[in-house]
Amino acid sequence: MDLLDLIDAVQSVADGVLFGATYALLGIGFTLIFGVMHKINLSYAAASVGAAYASLLVMSVVQAPAVLVFVAAAVAGGVIGGLVYLVGFKFIPLANPLATLMSTVGLLLLIDEIIVHTTAGVPLNYPALFSDVIIEVGPFGLRGDLMFVFALGCACMTLLLLLLYRTRLGLATRAVSQQPTASLLCGISTTRVNVLTFVITGVVGGIAGAMTGAAIGMLSPLLSLPLTVKGLIVTVIGGLGSIPGAIIAGLIVGGLENAFQFFRGVSERDLYIMLLLFAFLVFRPGGIFAKSSGRD
Amino acid sequence: MDFYLGLIQIIGVHTLLGLSAYCVLLTGQVSLAQAGFFAVGAYVAGMLTVLAQWPLIPALAVAALVSGAVACAVGFPALRVKGLMLVVATVAFGEAVRLFFFNFTYQIQAGTLHLGPHGAEGFRQIRYFPENGWSTLDVVLFIWTVVALVMAGLWWLDHSRVGAVLRAVGEDELAAQSVGINITAVKVSAMTVGGFIAGIGGGIFAHYTTHIEHAQFGVVLATFAIAYPILGGLSNVFGTLLAAVFIQGFMIEGLRFMGDWRNLLFGGLIVLAMNVRPRGLLDAGTTRALRRLFAPGKERSGA
Repeated sequence: MDLLDLIDAVQSVADGVLFGATYALLGIGFTLIFGVMHKINLSYAAASVGAAYASLLVMSVVQAPAVLVFVAAAVAGGVIGGLVYLVGFKFIPLANPLATLMSTVGLLLLIDEIIVHTTAGVPLNYPALFSDVIIEVGPFGLRGDLMFVFALGCACMTLLLLLLYRTRLGLATRAVSQQPTASLLCGISTTRVNVLTFVITGVVGGIAGAMTGAAIGMLSPLLSLPLTVKGLIVTVIGGLGSIPGAIIAGLIVGGLENAFQFFRGVSERDLYIMLLLFAFLVFRPGGIFAKSSGRD
Repeated sequence: MDFYLGLIQIIGVHTLLGLSAYCVLLTGQVSLAQAGFFAVGAYVAGMLTVLAQWPLIPALAVAALVSGAVACAVGFPALRVKGLMLVVATVAFGEAVRLFFFNFTYQIQAGTLHLGPHGAEGFRQIRYFPENGWSTLDVVLFIWTVVALVMAGLWWLDHSRVGAVLRAVGEDELAAQSVGINITAVKVSAMTVGGFIAGIGGGIFAHYTTHIEHAQFGVVLATFAIAYPILGGLSNVFGTLLAAVFIQGFMIEGLRFMGDWRNLLFGGLIVLAMNVRPRGLLDAGTTRALRRLFAPGKERSGA
């Protein structure tokens, strides 16, 4: 392999790592919901894409600068998150994990179909910020829109970590995820924590959806299934319930995805990501940061 | 008429797919790998009848054995984890199988035709039924004979000691382990049986559609597979059958007059069904009520 190929490879890995911030945010969302409720919310990525679509809808009605599209997506994500809790979790007995799994699958299909129905299935353009800026670092160029997405992702993660580890709500959330009964006895309303977790992860998801749209320049209902799969993979590689793990795993998956795409082509790319996941399940089921004996 | 026969074929094959997930769900494990086993069965059976000119039944048997073996091999690493981890592991396996067939090409020249799987284009010309003069009705009868056999087998399994063991593991692993059940062996066996049934279903599917491609075996099919037993209820095998009829017959074909509103209603109905009947359409309570309704000891739809 000559030098030019090497430069191209490094360049595509760098782009992938920057895009990986989206996967990291989705992974955090899955991890948080699982941590608090011990339930899988399969509709999460679809809700994120739905929130990005909703922000486009808002922007088409109100004339506003393009930055506000992210705010709109975050708000819409929070609202959708609350609705998902109400429809898919509130009235279903918690002792029955299969029922909530199925209801979130139903919600996944429902959200996808609402998107297809309102847009007639046509992909829509999404406003990208700083797409004309390219920062030259030696032979490499860092795309402005990807840099912005990455920075936004890092800001979200920092805020989320501050929320979880520096506020009373974060304390309550962590308490419920460790011992629901004990936290109930301490006077924490688990329902309130659950709802707020859904709203907060919804906000994060909405931003992730908007970031995906901004990074690839368009939105399509076809995004939600691959994003669901990638988000789940990030959750597992990072270790269930581990937020730093999800962040690192998101960036790794993003970078490796582009590396595999560069060396083996787009049709084999995801195959290697799946094999990577299997390797993690067999050798480190607890994720990146777990002790190798820690099993779920 | 052919439309309805085709619908009955689809329901039959999807019932087999649902039953394969039913076996695994009995042990409390959610497996989204069933579409992968289904794909393995479809490709193996198709290649045996088209490329090796085997008759259908041995081809199906081999396809089922291969899928079962794959399920067993996957079961050992995958079933060491549970809950969300297992869902992700099985999704990943299913996707890996799909992507394998996306990149898999093995063709032979037969006259002017190229036969065999061809990567993204899929596997065309699986023409066993038309070549051997099976009418649509014959195919329907064949499929439902297989479905009946599998259901009878699972019914018997459910009412034997094996069923009790499976359900014990599903209800409470710790308790099951402490009465001396080897839970890993039980889970891997359930996975193997599930893979076996999915292999039969996939083999039949390949032959009645005559053209298979990787996109048919994605995550959506896998979620359908677990949707049948969960929607139908895990109290007995008829729940899966009922849900397959409900989803394929009513929600997909019956609501077709609603145009593209049907798809909207589809997800909504699943959510509603889980809110109203979290234990499935045909849960233990309903089964008992049905049993009381029909004369005790002679009931047909309960246990």
